[in-house]
Formats: sequence, structure tokens, C-alpha cells
Amino acid sequence: MGKMKETILNPILKGNPITVLVLGICSSLAVTVELKGALVMALSVTVVTGLSSLVCSLLRNTIPNRVRIIVQLVVVALMVILVDQFLKAFEATYSIDKALSVYIGLIITNCIVMGRIEAFALGNKPLPSFLDGLANGLGYGMILIVVAFVRELLGSGTLFGLQVIPQCLYNAGYVNNGLVILPPFALILLGCIIWVHRSIDKSLQEK
Amino acid sequence: MNTNSNAYTVIYTAIVVIVVAATLALVSQKLGPMQAANEKAETISQILTAAQFGQKEHWQEIGNAQTIKFFEENLDGGATVASTADLKALNYKIKDGSINAEELPVYSFKNGVSVIAVYGAGLWGPVWGYIALDKDFKTVVGAYFDHESESPGLGGKIKDDASFRARFAGKKVIYGEGEPFSIVKGGAPEGKENAVDAITGATMTSKGLNAAIVSWLNAYRTSIEAAQNAPDTLEGMAETSNAEEE
Repeated sequence: MGKMKETILNPILKGNPITVLVLGICSSLAVTVELKGALVMALSVTVVTGLSSLVCSLLRNTIPNRVRIIVQLVVVALMVILVDQFLKAFEATYSIDKALSVYIGLIITNCIVMGRIEAFALGNKPLPSFLDGLANGLGYGMILIVVAFVRELLGSGTLFGLQVIPQCLYNAGYVNNGLVILPPFALILLGCIIWVHRSIDKSLQEK
Repeated sequence: MNTNSNAYTVIYTAIVVIVVAATLALVSQKLGPMQAANEKAETISQILTAAQFGQKEHWQEIGNAQTIKFFEENLDGGATVASTADLKALNYKIKDGSINAEELPVYSFKNGVSVIAVYGAGLWGPVWGYIALDKDFKTVVGAYFDHESESPGLGGKIKDDASFRARFAGKKVIYGEGEPFSIVKGGAPEGKENAVDAITGATMTSKGLNAAIVSWLNAYRTSIEAAQNAPDTLEGMAETSNAEEE
């Protein structure tokens, strides 16, 4: 049981794919302008990493070693296309899917997905692999949400599209920060999050 | 079993691919109608946005059913909504030169505004859009563009940058002297009524969109010119929308 707990908690804290492994940076800069998009992206990646790890783990003893990367890629691509198809089919998610445009398709190239299959799913039983995939997706999603929260609040004055910064502040001369909307700020913010994470968890610091 | 033999590898990958393809085909077939309904509502919301009935976000807020209802209530006569796939098919006919101007979609609204479609190739994939013309069929009321895979922040601006769309309002479609309408890199000449500035940093997308607008406006030429010259423009418009229904 202790091992299972570690499988779930490690990717979220000590082995966070974004702040420790620094994977999946591209999409975390691109889709974090708004919370809504970031949330859908986080859930999509979680579903894709979870299911791909599960399927690859089930197949792990049958996959021919020479073509294993290709087989993994086919499985990941299948999951990504399925997620995309489902997002397109429902009215509530259609517009978000359109707003995320190429980034849903680009989950295929997200290093976290392939990385967890190669590093974990191929050597572990289905259930731990599935949980490892989900946890990594959540670890990724958590950072995405934090970044999107700051960017939407400071960049647009809204959260989930709802105005939170009161009009009287704007009347008093407050303006939304344009830099926050742009990708460079997301990188600066990510750097700060990594800094905070490493200061709290001393074991991450190199000697 | 030796999982490293050639025969095993070939058969294994073949089975994986077949299973995956079958799954995708099944899902796509099951979800197809729902996706088509969403796409139709999206197309309608783009047409309505081009015609300046409201901002794009407004249609998203009121939902698919209300958007379609508004469209049908305000449309003058009926018109079948041409999907992006239909526009693509028409675009092939335009390239062949086998197009008849009456086959092209025209959405005429009760307030006199008519919306025409354009379609062409951007940098990475198709770009398309809708241009709304006023009663005189010369003045542009508004426009809305969309794309499949242009780079966000660069070519994607044809859709995301409201100031680019705003450049079209008040411009004119003029046949007879050069291109009927153009998007000019480096800035449209001062006082030129039928040109707008291209997007900085998105030369290829701007060029593609320009080519799409020019070729479609030329394809529309006979019906738009007839409407421009008609003494009562409303009648000319009714003709085109009737032709559209057949």
C-alpha cells in the first residue's frame, strides 16, 4: 500500500513532471492564458497519460522490442484522437477544443506521456501504471492551473471568464498587465514556481 | 514465444494498426452527427459575427440552439448552410474554372446585409471566412475568418485579432480595376477603398487569405455585379438567394 501511495504522490510533488523533470513546457506556456483552457488541457493530458500507460502496460510482455516506440506512439495517438473527438462532439467543450486548436493534437508529442510509458508502464503491472499515468497528468495539470490562475487574474482580470477585479479599481487607474498574456511571462512564472519548489524541498538541490 | 522474430513483429504491428483504425472509425462514426451539429452552429455563428449581429463570444454564450434560431429568424428566405467541407468542394470547382456564380453560398438577411464565403490555403492548412456586404453589395459591413492549423499568435491572428477583422468594415468590393479586394503586405495605400493591411509576422497566411478572397470574389463576380448594378438591389439579392435554395 505504501508503494501505491508513493506512485501517486511522487509525480505530484517530488517528481513533478514540470517543475522537477521540466517536461511538457511547450504546452504549459501556450495554454495557460485562461483557466478554462488550462483545465481542459490538464484533464485531457491526465486521461491520455493514464489510459496510454494502462494499455501499454497490458501489452508490455507482447510488444516486440524493436518496434516498441512505434507501438507506444500508436497507442498514444489513438488516445489523443479519441479525446479530441469527444471534445468536439459536446457543445460545452467544442469551443474550448477550438480555442486549444493544435495543442490537443500536440499532446502526442508531450514528453510526459511517452516518458512515463518508457520509464514506468513497460516495467510495471497495469494498475500501478495507470495510477502513475494519472498522477503525472495531475502533477502537470496542477502547475498548469497555478500558472493559468495567475495569468488570467493579472492579464485579463477574470477567473474562468468571470470578472473578479472590481470595476472601481479600473476606474482608479488599474490596468491589466499585457506582458502576463504573452508566453515569456509564463516561462518567468514557471521559473519562480521551480525556485519555490526547490527551496521548500531541499533534497532537490544539487550539492 | 520469440517476440523479436521478424514475422511476429510484422503481424503484431499489423494487428495493432487494424485494431486502432477500427476503434477510430467506430468512434468517428458514432460521434459524427454530434460533431456536425456543433460545426454547423459554429459556421452559423461565424456568419452572424461577420454580419455584425453580435460578437463571436455572444453566440457561444447563448448556445447552439439559440444561435441557429436567431439565424433562421433573421434570414431573408431560406438558405442551406454550406459546411467547411462544402466550401472546400466549391474551391476545387473555382480552381477548375467550372464554377457558376449561382452555386456559391449567399446568406441574405432581412436587414439587407448579405454574407458571402471565401476559402483557400493558408500556410499550414485551409483558411476560410465570411464577408458581409451591405445593401449596395459594394460596402463591406464586416468579416470573420477562421483557420485549421495556422500558428497561434502569428497566422492565427486572422481569427483571434479583432482589430484585423475590423479593418474590413467600411471597405468596398470594386470590380473592373485590378483585384476586387486585396490584403496588402506593408500596408494598404492611403485612400484605396478595396484594400486592407496584412498581418505583420504572418506573411504567408495573409497571402493565402488574400488569394482566397480574390479567387472567391472573382467567382462571385457575375452575381455580385448584377446586384451592384440592379436598380433595386433587394430584387437582385432575392434572385441569388433563390438560386442558392435550388
